Amino acid sequence: MAIVTLVAALAIPGVSSGATSGSTVAQEYDLKAAFLFNFARFVEWPADAFAAAATPITIGVLGDDPFGATLDSLVGGELVRNRPLLVRRYGSVEDVDACHILFISSSEAGRLDHIARVLGRRSILTVGDTKDFAADAGIIGFELAQRRLRLRINLAAATDARLTISSKLLRQAQIVRSSRGRK
Amino acid sequence: MTTEIKRVLLAEDNPNDVELTLAALAENRLANDVVVVRDGAEAWEYLCREGRYAQRPPGSPAVVLLDLKMPKIDGLEVLRRMRADEALRSVPVVMLTSSREERDLLESYRLGVNAYVVKPVAFEAFMSSVSSLGLFWAVVNEPPPGSVRRAA
Amino acid sequence: MTTPRTSIRGKLVTAMMLTSTTVLVLTGAALVLYDLASFRQSLARSLATRAEILAANSTAALAFDNRDDATQVLAALRSDPSTVMAVLYDHEGRPFAAYPADVSLASVPAAPSGKGHWFEPSSVVVSRPVVEEGQTLGTLYLKSDLRALAGRVRIFTLVVVVAVLGSIAVAFALASWLQRGIALPVRTLADTARQVSDSKDFAIRANVVSDDELGLLTHSFNEMLSEIQQRDAALRASETRLRQLNGDLERRVEARTAQLETSNRELEAFSYSVSHDLRAPLRHIDGFADLLRRQAHSGLDDKAKRYIETISASAKSMGMLIDDLLSFSRMGRSELQNAPVDLDELVAEVRAAVSSDVADREIVWTVAPLPRVVGDPAMLRLALVNLLSNAVKYTRGRTPARITVGATEAGHETVLFVQDNGAGFDMAYQGKLFGVFQRLHGAEEFEGTGIGLANVRRIIERHRGRVWAKGELGAGATFFVALPREDSEANQDQEAA
Repeated sequence: MAIVTLVAALAIPGVSSGATSGSTVAQEYDLKAAFLFNFARFVEWPADAFAAAATPITIGVLGDDPFGATLDSLVGGELVRNRPLLVRRYGSVEDVDACHILFISSSEAGRLDHIARVLGRRSILTVGDTKDFAADAGIIGFELAQRRLRLRINLAAATDARLTISSKLLRQAQIVRSSRGRK
Repeated sequence: MTTEIKRVLLAEDNPNDVELTLAALAENRLANDVVVVRDGAEAWEYLCREGRYAQRPPGSPAVVLLDLKMPKIDGLEVLRRMRADEALRSVPVVMLTSSREERDLLESYRLGVNAYVVKPVAFEAFMSSVSSLGLFWAVVNEPPPGSVRRAA
Repeated sequence: MTTPRTSIRGKLVTAMMLTSTTVLVLTGAALVLYDLASFRQSLARSLATRAEILAANSTAALAFDNRDDATQVLAALRSDPSTVMAVLYDHEGRPFAAYPADVSLASVPAAPSGKGHWFEPSSVVVSRPVVEEGQTLGTLYLKSDLRALAGRVRIFTLVVVVAVLGSIAVAFALASWLQRGIALPVRTLADTARQVSDSKDFAIRANVVSDDELGLLTHSFNEMLSEIQQRDAALRASETRLRQLNGDLERRVEARTAQLETSNRELEAFSYSVSHDLRAPLRHIDGFADLLRRQAHSGLDDKAKRYIETISASAKSMGMLIDDLLSFSRMGRSELQNAPVDLDELVAEVRAAVSSDVADREIVWTVAPLPRVVGDPAMLRLALVNLLSNAVKYTRGRTPARITVGATEAGHETVLFVQDNGAGFDMAYQGKLFGVFQRLHGAEEFEGTGIGLANVRRIIERHRGRVWAKGELGAGATFFVALPREDSEANQDQEAA
C-alpha cells in the first residue's frame, strides 16, 4: 500500500535530515497526511458524530492545503471501521460542517482562538503543526524533533470534544496540558 | 611129533552148555583134559588149589574158559581176582559167553582178558569156534611157565 | 528323569513380566511422545499469543513511525529468557524494530508473510500481522528457543520412566504371587509323577489342588495310576502263576525224564538179559539137535533127519531174530558220535565185507566218487552194510548182478543211492518197505528178518536224514538216503578244533 511505502521510506534513519528542502517538506507533509489518516483508527467519535452507519469519516483541511494530492490518494478507497474516508477543504472555519478530523494549516496560525471558539465542543479532532498547537487549543500537534515527527496530544481538549483517543496513540505522544484555559 | 596137551579149565553153570562145549572140544580130542567147574567160586577154588581142589596136582591150566553169568562169583570177578594174583596173572583167559553187550566186552578187556568169544546159536559155528579155541590155546599157544603139561 | 532347566513358575512370571513391561513401555512412550507434541503445540500457541499481544501493542508505533516505542514494546520480551529474537517489520517487509535491540542486521531474517508458526531445529518461530482496525500495518516475527520443551521432555520422561519402573516392580510382585495358582498344581503333579516313577509305587496319588483343567489333569493322572496299579497287580499275579506253572512243568518234565530214564535202564537190563539168557536155550536146541543127528546118524531116515534139520533151522532163525531186535533197539538208544565220514572209504570197506562170501558170483559194481558226510561212522557203516548186502542178496538171480552206488548234492542234502538190477519190489507196498519185520518176499525166496531196512531208516532218521525207495517187480530197486549237508561253519569249526 502506498501509505506503507511512504512511512517506510521516511522511517529509515537519515533519510529525513531535518533540513527543509523542497523534497523533504513534501515528505514531511506526506508523513503528516499518513498520520492524519491513521488518527482515524486510533480515535473514537461519539455516536452522534455520524448521521448514519455509512456516513464517511471526513478529514478536513482548513486554510492552505499543504498536502496536495497525497491525502486524497491515501484516503481513496480505504475503510476505517467500515466507513469510507472523505477529504474536504475549507477556506474558513465557518465552512466546516460535518468533519471529524480537521487539519488547521499554518496559514491560520493567527486565528487559532477564533477557530477554537467557533468549533467549540464539536467532536472534531483538531490537528495542527504550528508551535504549541496542542498546548494552545488543538488536540494533536505535530512537532518535528530530531528528524522525527513527534506528536503532542491535549487530552483535556480531546475529552472536551468527547473524543476517545486510544491509549496506543497516547503512548506515541507526549501529553500536554492546556496553557490557556478554555471555557 | 607129539604135541603136549595142556589142561583147560571150563567154568560154565549151564549143564547143556557144558555138554555142548565138551562135545565140541571132543571133536578135536581135547575133552580129556578139561576140568569143569560149575560156578565162579569153584573156579577160584580150583585155581587157588583150595577147598575141594586143595589136593589137585599143582600147575595152572593152559587156558581158562569163563562164562560171564555164573552163580556165586561171576566170570568178571574171577578174571579180576586172577589178574590180581601174582601166580595167576599170566594165565590166558577166554571169555566164552552169550553176551555181546558192549559193556561186558569193555569190562573184560579192561580187566585183561585174552580173548572174548560169543557163543553162536548155530551149533556148527559153535563147534568151529570152540575147536579153534581149544586148538589154539591148548595146543598151539605156549602157555606161561608153570602150566601143566601132559605128555602126549 | 532330568530336572527341567526352565520352570513353569519362571515361564509364567516371564510371560506376565514381558507383557506388562511391553505394555508399560509402549504406553509410557506414547505418553511421552504425545506430551512432547502437545507441549510443542502449546509452546507455539503461547508464543503466538505473546506475538499477538506485541503486535497489537505495536500498531500505533508502526502507524506513527515510532521506533522507540516499538522497540520498547518488544523489549517487554526481556522477561522471557527463552526469547531468541523478535523483529517488527513494516508493511514493506523492512525491519522496523527488533529485540534484542542490538541484534545485527545480518541475522534478521526476511519478513515472513502473514500469520503462521513453524519449528526450526532448535527454536519455534511465530509470525503475526500487525493489524489495526482491519489495516495491516506490518508483521511481527517472534522466535523463541526450545529450552522449555527440552526441560519438559526431560522431566516428563523421568516421571514416566520412574512410573514405568515402579509399575514393573509392582507387576513383578503381582506376577510372582499370581503364578502360584498355576505353577503350584503343576509342580505338585510333576513331583508326584516323579515320585511314582522313581519308587515304582503305584499306590501314590496326586493331590488335587485346583479346580480347573489342571485339576482335571490331576484326576486323570490319578485314574491312570489306579489303572496301572491294577494292571501291575494283575501282571504280578500272572507272573507268579507263570512261575508256578513253569515249576510244575519242570517238575513234570523231571518226573517224565526220570520215568524215561528208568524205562531206558529197564530196557537195557531187558536187552542185556535177552542178549544173554534167551540165546542160551536156542544154542542148546541147535546144539543138541546136531548132536542128536550125529549120534543117531545111521539110524535116522530122511524124514527124521528133516525134522531135526527143522529144529535146528528154527533155533537159528530165532537167534537171528533176537540179534536183529537187539541191534535195532540198541540203535535207538545209543548216542550219535558225529565225525566226518569219507563215503568212498566206507563204501569200499562195506562192499569188500559183503562180497567176501559171494566171490563165486558175477557182480558188476559201479561206484561213483562219493562226497564226505558228517555222521556216526559205526551207524552209517551198519546202514551201508544193510543196503549193500540187500543189493547183493536180491540180485542173486541175475547174471551179471549190477549194483550201482552214487551220490548227488542237492541243495542242503547229500543224496546217496544204491541201485540194483535184482528182484525189485511192488511200489504198492513201498510204505511197508522200511517197517520193522516187514518183508515183501517170502523166506523161501530170500532169507532175512525184515529188520535191515528198518535199521537203515532208524539210523538215517537219527542223522536227521530221509530214506525212500523206488522199485519195479523183477526189474530192480533203487534205495535213496538223504543226509543233511553239514558244509557249514559248524562243520569247519569242528574240523579246526
